Amino acid sequence: MGGITGLMMALAVAGALLAVSLKNVLHAIFGLALTLLAVAGLFAVLGSPFVATMQVLIYVGGITVAMVFAVMLSTVVQQHAAESPWRRAGAAVVAVGFAVGVGLVVIGAGLPDGPPPPMIADAWSVKQVGHSLLADYNVVFEALSVILLLAIIGAIVISRRDPEETPS
Amino acid sequence: MSLEHFILLSLVLFSLGLYAVMARRNLIAILIGIELMLNAASLNFMAFNRFLPVEDPTVGQLFVLFIIGLAAAEVAIALSIILIVYRERKRIDVDDINELRG
Repeated sequence: MGGITGLMMALAVAGALLAVSLKNVLHAIFGLALTLLAVAGLFAVLGSPFVATMQVLIYVGGITVAMVFAVMLSTVVQQHAAESPWRRAGAAVVAVGFAVGVGLVVIGAGLPDGPPPPMIADAWSVKQVGHSLLADYNVVFEALSVILLLAIIGAIVISRRDPEETPS
Repeated sequence: MSLEHFILLSLVLFSLGLYAVMARRNLIAILIGIELMLNAASLNFMAFNRFLPVEDPTVGQLFVLFIIGLAAAEVAIALSIILIVYRERKRIDVDDINELRG
């Protein structure tokens, strides 16, 4: 488990670095896709191939592709004016300060060390996930369905052109 | 690999997302930062779910599934807003969007 997990962690960090540093937004999205794939692999390592599959299907297959479409529809001129160095320096200071502060707390928290407890195959099965989803947490499930429906309708309403508006 | 490694990895991902949200000007680049932060949160849920002796290990997985669903909804709305900003402005920099400034 050690080698593959370490490789995926390195890939996740590398993809995230590419995603936040590349000027071309299209390339940044590919960096994000690398991170998402690595995180999906980590989900599989952490005992849930089902969630890993969903991550690949929805994030890599859906969200990333939608973002690529948005870039192609909206960014005619690929290069943007560079961010001012002050802005980047301020953001870097805040982000590094946050990372160091929370990192110290995490290291000092005394999290349990060592390998994870053994997996109980029954409790981790997809069958159990489905049962939990539709029995114990069905209200959340229904609420999420309504949210997705509202998001679809909202996206259509927001991006629709007014019929009387002359197309530019 | 212990729990601490996963938590620190997710901290790195979250900080990079935070940096992207604050430093970048392109709206889609900011959206990428938000996705990174959401993924860091999902990774935390899965790691705690696996490493701590939880009573019902499906709860952490369900949290991640709900986060993925909410992220999909969020991206749909955000991309349609970005498209309409582009249609009005021909640019998608955050510094240009200031009509609602008081």
